[in-house]
Amino acid sequence: MKNSDNRLLARAAPNRPHVLAMTCRAATVRERLLSVISEQVHKLSIAMAICAAGFSLSAQGLPITSDRLLHADREPGNWLMYSNTYNSWRYSRLAQVDTSNVGRLKLKWLFQMRTQEKVETTPLVVDGIMYVTRPDNDIIALDAETGRTLWTYEYRNPRRLYPCCGRVNRGVAILGNRLFMNTLDMHVVAVDARSGREVWRTKMFDYTAAGGYAATGAPLVVKDKVIVGMAGAEHGVRGFLDAYDAATGKLAWRFNTIPKQGDPNYSWSGDSGERGGASTWNTGSYDPELNTLYWGTGNPWPDTNGDVRLGDDLYSCSVIALDPDTGKLKWHYQFTPHDVHDWDSTQVPVLVDAQFRGRPRKLLVWPNRNGFFYVLDRQSGEFLTAKAFVRQTWAKGFDDRGRPELIPGNEPTTEGNIDVWPGVDGGANWMAHSYSPLTGWLYTFAREERRVYSKTEYHPPTTEETVAGFRARPVFAPEESFGKVIALEPGTGEIKWEHRVLTPPWSGVMATAGNLVFGGTLEGNVFALDARSGKQLWRFLGNGPVFAGPISFLSNGKQYVSLAVGDVLMTFSLNAE
Amino acid sequence: MRRLSPFLQIGYFALAAAAAVFAQEVPVGVVVERSAATVEKNPFDTPQDAELGRKTFITGGGCSYCHANDGTGGRGANLTLGEYRFGGSDAQLFDTIRNGIPGSDMPPTRGPDQEIWRLVAFVKHLGSQGLDEKAPGDPVAGKTVYDTKGGCGACHAINQQGGIIGPDLTRVGRRRSLKHLEESIVNPSADLPLNYRAVRIVTAHGDTITGIRLNEDDISIQMRDTSGNLRAFLKDNVKEIRRDQPSLMPAYGSVLSRKEIENLVAYLSSLRGTL
Repeated sequence: MKNSDNRLLARAAPNRPHVLAMTCRAATVRERLLSVISEQVHKLSIAMAICAAGFSLSAQGLPITSDRLLHADREPGNWLMYSNTYNSWRYSRLAQVDTSNVGRLKLKWLFQMRTQEKVETTPLVVDGIMYVTRPDNDIIALDAETGRTLWTYEYRNPRRLYPCCGRVNRGVAILGNRLFMNTLDMHVVAVDARSGREVWRTKMFDYTAAGGYAATGAPLVVKDKVIVGMAGAEHGVRGFLDAYDAATGKLAWRFNTIPKQGDPNYSWSGDSGERGGASTWNTGSYDPELNTLYWGTGNPWPDTNGDVRLGDDLYSCSVIALDPDTGKLKWHYQFTPHDVHDWDSTQVPVLVDAQFRGRPRKLLVWPNRNGFFYVLDRQSGEFLTAKAFVRQTWAKGFDDRGRPELIPGNEPTTEGNIDVWPGVDGGANWMAHSYSPLTGWLYTFAREERRVYSKTEYHPPTTEETVAGFRARPVFAPEESFGKVIALEPGTGEIKWEHRVLTPPWSGVMATAGNLVFGGTLEGNVFALDARSGKQLWRFLGNGPVFAGPISFLSNGKQYVSLAVGDVLMTFSLNAE
Repeated sequence: MRRLSPFLQIGYFALAAAAAVFAQEVPVGVVVERSAATVEKNPFDTPQDAELGRKTFITGGGCSYCHANDGTGGRGANLTLGEYRFGGSDAQLFDTIRNGIPGSDMPPTRGPDQEIWRLVAFVKHLGSQGLDEKAPGDPVAGKTVYDTKGGCGACHAINQQGGIIGPDLTRVGRRRSLKHLEESIVNPSADLPLNYRAVRIVTAHGDTITGIRLNEDDISIQMRDTSGNLRAFLKDNVKEIRRDQPSLMPAYGSVLSRKEIENLVAYLSSLRGTL
C-alpha cells in the first residue's frame, strides 16, 4: 500500500466523494461476484482480496453512520459490530487468507490483557484502530497493525459485583464517534472513540437488587438507539431489554421479558414471575427490511426447581421479536417451555434467507442450548422444523406449533439426575455461530456432554452470601464428553460434516470468504478448517482457554485474524512467501 | 539482557529492600492484573501510620515526584482537596494506589499491603486539611481570556466542548493547585504528562505530522495529530522523529498580561465538573 508510512487511522469528518464512489463501485463488483459463487470460489477469493484492498485505501474512519452499520458487509476490512453484520453471520468477506495459503498464517502480535478473568470480548475494528474491552470494563484502543495502545478508558466497578459466571465483558458497539459499553454494575457508558473520554453514563438498574444484576454482553446499535441486555437469571432478577438514545443516554424503551401479572402471556404460578429471571445477556440481531430486532432470553429462576414457578414461564428461554423503534413485541417463540435445565436461549440469532422445503424463506436459524437446531420464519415467528445436533434425552419431537413433546425422567432430582443430555452448559451456549454464503452452511461449535442435575431448595433471592448457588459441576472424563465444529444446512439442520475436538468448547467460530472456519479450543488450539470439508488446514498452540469469537480485518491492505486465547489477544497474518 | 555483576546485584537488592514500596515501571498502555483491598476500612490509620506513609510518599514510593511533597500536585493530581476521581473511601484509595490509573501517568504500586494502607492514611491526612485555595483573580474575566485571547478551546475541552489534543479541563479545578495551573500556562513544558508530549514525525515520503505521542516502541510510534486524529507509523517508514520541545502548548507568559493570567487561573480553578 502506497501510503503505508503515513497511515491515517481515524478521520474526524471524511468528505471525499471519490472514496465513496469507489466504495459503491466495489460493492457492485462484489454483489455481481457473489452471484457466480459456487464454482468460482478461487477466482472470487482473488477478486475479494482486490476489492478488500480497495476498501482499506478508502480509510473512511469515523464517524460510523447508521447507514454504514446497515451495510457493514461493504466494509470487509472493518469489524463494525459484535457479529460483524446485523444478520449475525460473523462472516468475513476477506479472502486473502484461503485454503491454499492458510498454512502460512503466523502470529503477528499479541495484546496482553493480564487478567485472571475469562476474556470473552469481540473487538471492533475501524480503519486500522481496534477497540477491545478487557474484563471488568476497560476499553482499550489499539493500533491494529501493531497491537500498541492508543488510549485506555478505565471504568472502575465496585469491588463486589454479582455476575453469575465471572467479571466478563463481550465488547462494545459503535455509532458516530462513540463507543457504547454496558458495565457489570448495570450502567451504560458512551466513550469518545478518538479520545477515550467518557461522554455519558446512564444507570440501567440497581445492580444489588434481588440476588444481583449484571450486564456482560456487547450492545447492539440500531438506528439511533443502543440496545442493551442484562444478566442475573441465576439470582432471581426480573429480565428486561433496554434501548438508550445514543446521543443523550436517555432510556428510550424497556421491554420486560416477563409480562405483568394479568397479561395473557403471564404464565407463572402466583407472583413467581416477579423474580423469574429471563435475562438478555448476549447480543441480538436486526433485520432492517422487516424492521425487527431479534433477541434471545435466559432461563427461568430458580434454575432447576420448577415447582415454585408452574407454567410455561414466558418469555424465558425464548426468542423475542421486537420493533426496535418502540420496543413493542411482534412475536415470540419459546424453545424450552418451563425450563428446569438452565438452557438459556441467549444464543446469537442468525438471519438467513434460504430454501425451506423448496421455497425461499426468511429464516431465523438457532442452534439452541437445549440441543436442538431450530428453523423459524423470522417474519411470522412460525416454527418450521427442529433437529437435534447433539445427543439429547429430553424431547421426542415437536408438535406443529413447535412445542416439544417431553420424555419423562429428565427432571432434576434432589439426589442428582446424572443422565440428562445435553448438560447444563448446553449443546450450544453463547458462543458465536457463523454462516457462510459461499457454502450456504451454518457453522457452530457444539458441546457433547451431560451433567448432574440437582434440584435446589427454594430461597428468596438475596445478595447475602449465605445462599449457595448451584455450582456443582463435575468434570467428566474425555471419553464421556467432547466438542465438535459442525456445518449445518440451515433449511433442514442436516449436519454436513463435523470436526471433533477433545473438550466441549467455549469459543465462537468465524467463516471467511477464503472458505475457512476459524475457532479455538479450551486447551488453546487455534484452528482453521476447510469450510467445505471440515478438514483442519492450520493450527496454532495458544495454550490458554478460548472463550471468545474470532474476527478478521484489514490493516494496510493485509488480512488479519484476531482471537483472544487465555488472557492474550492473538493476531495472525500471512507470512510473505 | 546484560547481566548485572554480582556486586551490582547486591547493591540493587539492598536498594530495593530500602524502598519497601515503589511505583512499578510500567510503560504507557500496558495494563496490569488488578488486585483489590480485602477490607473496607484502613487497618493502619493511626497518626504513626500516616507519618510512615508520608515517608514512603516522599521517598520510597516516588509519589511526590508527581504529587509534590506537600501533596499539592503537579503532573499528578492535587491531593489536598480530599476529592478523588475514583472514590475516597479507604478501600477505593487503596485500589487506586495499588493498581494505578490505566491510561494515565499514575502507575501501579508494588509492596506489602500495610505500606499501601499507610499511604492511604497519609493521603487522607493530606485531604483532610481543607486547603481549598481561593484564587485571587476574576473567573468571569478569566473565561473571556480562555475563549478569546487564549484560544484555549482549540486544544482543551470543558464539558466536551473543545479540542482533544490537550488535557480535558472539565474538573481541573479539583485536580490541580493554583500554583500548578499558573505554571502550566506560563511554562507548559515544565511538568507535562507523558502522553501529552509533543512529537513531530517526518515520513520517508517527506510528510511532516505534528502531534502528541501516545505510545512508542522500537518498531512503531502512535500519536494524535493536531487535528485530533489517531495515527500510527512503523519506524521503518519514518525518516525522522523530532522532539523539539516537550509541550505543543505555547508559553503564555509573553502572550497574556499578569492580570489575564491571574484571571485565567481563577477561571480554571472554578472548573469543578462532577467527580
